[in-house]
Amino acid sequence: MDDQNQPILIAEELRKSYGQRAALRGLSFSLQGGRVLGFLGPNGAGKTTSIRILTTIMQPDSGNFSVDGINHKHPEKIRRKIGVLPESLGFPRQITGFEYLTYYGQLYGLPTGAAKDNARRLLSEVGLEARGKSLIGSYSHGMRQRVGIARALVNKPLVVFLDEPTLGLDPRGQQELLALIQHIAREYGTGVILCSHSLSEIEGICDDVVILSSGQVVTQGPVNQILGKGQRNVYRIQIPVTDLAPAQEELTKLSAVLRVSLLGEMSGWLRVELTYSNNGSNPEDYSINNRLLGALIQAGIPVMSFEAEGSRLQDVFLQLTEEAIK
Amino acid sequence: MSSRTARMDEISRSEGRSLPAWWLIFTRELTDLWVGGKALTLILIYSVLLGIMVYVLSSNSELSLIPPKEMAYETLKNAMAVSLFIALIIGADSLSGERERATFEALLLTPASRRQIITGKFLSGISPWPIAFLIVIPYLNVVAQGDEILGPAILWGGITGTILATAYTGLGMLVSFFSNSNKTSYFVSLGIYILFLVPAQLPGRAQTGATGQFLQWVNPVAAVNHFLSKHLVNYRTLAEFWTWLIAPTAFMLIVLGLLFLFAAPGLRLEGGRESKIGKMLKRGTAVVGLVLLLAFPTAVPVLARDALKTESGLQITIDKDYVVVKTGDKVEYNTVITNIGSTASAPLIVAMNLINLDAKGDIVDPEDWSPQRTQYLEGLAPGESASLSWIINTILDGDYMVYMVLIDAPTSTETTSHPVASSGIHLTVTPFTRLNPLGVLPYAIGGPVLLGLAIFFVYRLRRKNIDLGGS
Repeated sequence: MDDQNQPILIAEELRKSYGQRAALRGLSFSLQGGRVLGFLGPNGAGKTTSIRILTTIMQPDSGNFSVDGINHKHPEKIRRKIGVLPESLGFPRQITGFEYLTYYGQLYGLPTGAAKDNARRLLSEVGLEARGKSLIGSYSHGMRQRVGIARALVNKPLVVFLDEPTLGLDPRGQQELLALIQHIAREYGTGVILCSHSLSEIEGICDDVVILSSGQVVTQGPVNQILGKGQRNVYRIQIPVTDLAPAQEELTKLSAVLRVSLLGEMSGWLRVELTYSNNGSNPEDYSINNRLLGALIQAGIPVMSFEAEGSRLQDVFLQLTEEAIK
Repeated sequence: MSSRTARMDEISRSEGRSLPAWWLIFTRELTDLWVGGKALTLILIYSVLLGIMVYVLSSNSELSLIPPKEMAYETLKNAMAVSLFIALIIGADSLSGERERATFEALLLTPASRRQIITGKFLSGISPWPIAFLIVIPYLNVVAQGDEILGPAILWGGITGTILATAYTGLGMLVSFFSNSNKTSYFVSLGIYILFLVPAQLPGRAQTGATGQFLQWVNPVAAVNHFLSKHLVNYRTLAEFWTWLIAPTAFMLIVLGLLFLFAAPGLRLEGGRESKIGKMLKRGTAVVGLVLLLAFPTAVPVLARDALKTESGLQITIDKDYVVVKTGDKVEYNTVITNIGSTASAPLIVAMNLINLDAKGDIVDPEDWSPQRTQYLEGLAPGESASLSWIINTILDGDYMVYMVLIDAPTSTETTSHPVASSGIHLTVTPFTRLNPLGVLPYAIGGPVLLGLAIFFVYRLRRKNIDLGGS
């Protein structure tokens, strides 16, 4: 069987409480090599607790997890298999990026020479070969995040945990870092667990997603399947501002349309609410798209943009976490 | 085993031996502490303080002729006090500082065991002590002035200092283990440091009571100071005073035991919470406080009762009326004691007294001014006289009166005697200072300067090896 189809991380019914407060109430999921798994949840959902447990920083109250078949009761062995970029990782300022990576390579058991070679390779991989001999204290935030990722890869891990890696980066920096993460997963077959509040980021690069709320998994699976779980009874259509009134009139005429309202008069967005709920499970459900667009085209109204609410991860996330809170 | 991990292990095997994690952590921490780190700064401050202390001590020594042994002991004691403070501060920063700077998680995520992390940090934490001790040796050499004390001072200073520095570093690390922030860690460590100094600040009589003595014995710092003072200054043998090393050694072993057996396995990202150990420590502090309070009543001197007085037929004369000298000068004079009575006197005691004539001046401690303040005589037959010689070392400038008191020893517990005073010597001491007492100045200035140069050299060397380009 192909190595990459085997789960390299399996979590089963992980639970953790802080006093009376349950932070994690039965987390179960698995991760395959070469895939990027997005870990989502509102603040206080249990993401940090999950990551701390899975990275052996914290012990679960109950439940099990294993990495490459190693049970969590052997944390030192698991640490050899994983790499972590914590959310707020601090760096010693009076040390160069090269020295930093060499040191961590040695801590993972590499002899000095091999650790130095490894550090050079990693610096090149994260695009910092020119700044390897500079003190980390002189690095920009983006450069430190790159060194952090390089440190997480220093032991050629099977699983990499990245907690908010793009936080505080400019758009270009974010894009470059996400490309790097994808490269790591695809090139080395590393399983990546990516914690982020940026849903577009998760949607853009993740293969799978786990959504947590109040310490519980509310949904999990491949991203395209999760997106299908959104309730689609609302559409957003952007048309020229001058055509808002006739467009509203044309759409209201359709029997499937419950109401049409202005989403933002200045921007020209209309919000079209259907009389029924459409979750996209049936291909015929998508015929409403054609009917809505057809009505506008026939009326000679140009369509600038068209999208179904619930087709974005953000919509699914808000819907599911809201339901879980209720 | 997966192919990727197997590859990593293969690299390790093919390219030589990997170093143990504790060694890597130790060398890394050592570099952090000594290359532009806080150990370097603290040691520089220490060397300046030591220079000032020894200079002042040497100036005083020239004035009051403090024996070289006492000078060496005082120098060693002061150096150890500052070194222990440094050990405590570095220990206190070792874990909570990493938590505060958010660098701890990365270390905890490595395969290095918790005990290896503690070992590496502990070894680097005690590194300032040998440096501090090396710095004090030239000063000891100067203040010892060729006295035989130098060897024992280095030997016993090294042994006792190592015991205490080990214990204090470990103690600081234990505090740091429980703390999430350096603020808490430093505050608690400073409190402990002061707590150990308290017995030394107790009134002299409180220290000599049974409880006071016990407190000194159990206090590792006070016990070491007591041992050093008796062994180095008062020629007391090791056999007589070795028991004073029990408490410091036990303290060190307890701290190390707690650090490596209790704290190390439970080392985690968050500081220790309120636990049984924490409660025990708090209770222990309360008990120590209670014992300190109890020490006072036991040490209160018993008030003298009124007793019968007798007449005396004795006379004491002095061969000088007034003397004008400079500070540091020696004043010698003689007294003649005569029995002018008709009966033989009891054994006699003659005591020197010295008072400051300036009401706003410093109170005089005659012990500092004269090595022999009291002399004893056998009884004198009627008409018989005896002569005694006296020496005063003038310490402070000012206007003083020196006078003698003659006492015939009471013959029983139910009697007393009538002291007889001599006329006084009006002693005027004018200021005198020397810039380089005992030749200590080159060391006091040279030590910190050399250290500063070494720091500058290390700094330049480091700058050469790094790229200074901005981000």
